[in-house]
Amino acid sequence: MNSLIKLELTRALRNRKFLFFSVMYPSLLFLLIAGNADSTSKVDGTGLTLPTYMMVSMASFGALTAVLMGNSERIAKEREGGWVRQLRLTPLPGRGYVFAKTASAAVVSLPSIVVVFVVAAVVKDVRLDAWQWLALTGAIWAGSLVFAALGVAIGYLATGDAVRPITMITYFGLSMLGGLWMPTTTFPQWLQDIAKWLPTHAYAALGQAIEQSRAPHAQDIAVLAVSFALFAGGAAWLYRKDTLKA
Amino acid sequence: MTTTAPVVAFDQVSKAYGAVRAVDGLTLTLRPGETVALLGPNGAGKSTSLDLLLGLKQPDSGSVRLFGTTPREAIVAGRVGAMLQSGGLMDEVTVAELVRLACDLHPKPYQVNDVLARAGIAQIADRKVNKLSGGQAQRVRFALATAGDSDLIVLDEPTTGMDVTTRQAFWATMREQADQGRTVLFATHYLEEADAIADRVLVLHRGRLLADGTAAEIKAKAGARRIAFDLEGTIDEAPLRALPFLTSVTVSKSGSAAGSGQTIRIQSTDADATVHALYGLGVYPRNLEVAGLGLEQAFVAITAAEEAKSK
Repeated sequence: MNSLIKLELTRALRNRKFLFFSVMYPSLLFLLIAGNADSTSKVDGTGLTLPTYMMVSMASFGALTAVLMGNSERIAKEREGGWVRQLRLTPLPGRGYVFAKTASAAVVSLPSIVVVFVVAAVVKDVRLDAWQWLALTGAIWAGSLVFAALGVAIGYLATGDAVRPITMITYFGLSMLGGLWMPTTTFPQWLQDIAKWLPTHAYAALGQAIEQSRAPHAQDIAVLAVSFALFAGGAAWLYRKDTLKA
Repeated sequence: MTTTAPVVAFDQVSKAYGAVRAVDGLTLTLRPGETVALLGPNGAGKSTSLDLLLGLKQPDSGSVRLFGTTPREAIVAGRVGAMLQSGGLMDEVTVAELVRLACDLHPKPYQVNDVLARAGIAQIADRKVNKLSGGQAQRVRFALATAGDSDLIVLDEPTTGMDVTTRQAFWATMREQADQGRTVLFATHYLEEADAIADRVLVLHRGRLLADGTAAEIKAKAGARRIAFDLEGTIDEAPLRALPFLTSVTVSKSGSAAGSGQTIRIQSTDADATVHALYGLGVYPRNLEVAGLGLEQAFVAITAAEEAKSK
């Protein structure tokens, strides 16, 4: 299984487009949104400056990109192309394929988080305690598993042709409505009411709670936990269905 | 072989898709060291049979055993190497990287370089998998199927997309595998391949085993030889039809410049005896030809007979 993880990783690191969108793009977007913001005015109701607030949003966005974009499309295409069948003719355990995909995505998502932090600290003077930096990295990294499971589920749900639009709609929908690109406090009230139930919103809120040095809201934890159970359960069910069919 | 269990044992295996019975009560046994061809037209159930054999599909009824265990157990033990028509490859990695993965996954792996060389892909080892021609991709699949010391090699239409030269080289490699005592099972559309390579041929039709024997036996079963000759003038057909070992006779106007005459085409299971009896009729056959019936024609004849029977 390690050899498959290694090969998946080699391939991911070789894909410049994927690396750009998952590692560089979130930082560029951060600079674009927070670049002209002064470091005194606060985002409504958070007590955080815009750069501090957006740093977590963009780190979450980068991790989301790394775990969602690569996996869903590859799984759908490789299912269709027969690579998944070929792997089933090796002693690799059935779940090894999904596991290797998730593991290699997790390796790519780590730099996409860290790069945003470095850019925010260097360019926009974002300052946090050491424990906050570590906790943020850990929380955003671990939280990305929720969306890795979603990526796997989409990969087993969609066909090779449909997977890209489905992934894109899910990806942009979750990013925008979840407030990863702009604070949800700028949304009209009805949209805010929807946004707070999205896993991406809960995901970023987790990081922002760490920045505010307070315990995360129970609702956010619950949304993430339920989403993870839903996505992982769905992925497992679709995986089994696909295995019986193939 | 470390076990006395048959390499492959199908016992009354059936698999249906809706109303279509893809595999229908299939029972067969493969013994160690055999090279077996699985022949059949599209939709005969070849691919489904191989999927069942490899545990990719589960039978509706009956049992499939490899080396006395389940297909999955045999694969995990590294006893089976397989190359599927539908088996895809991982994109954006090099040929060598992919073969290394297959070697790493196999419990009894060979050296990567040896596997590459044997499959004839050493010179394209650094090429990206998604930049290969159809024939090259087939060779990579073959390398994946032979990455380790497996006892059974299963190949589904292995030479699809290969040109004649590559195909010959491929079968030479395949024979080496068989000569090392492995059991080889392959499905093919190229019936001459089954004829040339397999020491046992299984003919599958509508999910059932239609014939099981050597290529020579399969040909014999359909009326193995074709006899053709011209006769001048008109001839009474009755004595022709009474010739021994006939399976069919057709009489047509001969197109020869010699004038009015007839061309007679006969299929016979014992051409020597038929021709001997022909001269006994006191006729003078001209342009006599005796030719072997290709396996393809034999196959057509067998399946046609089967379809006639089922109507």
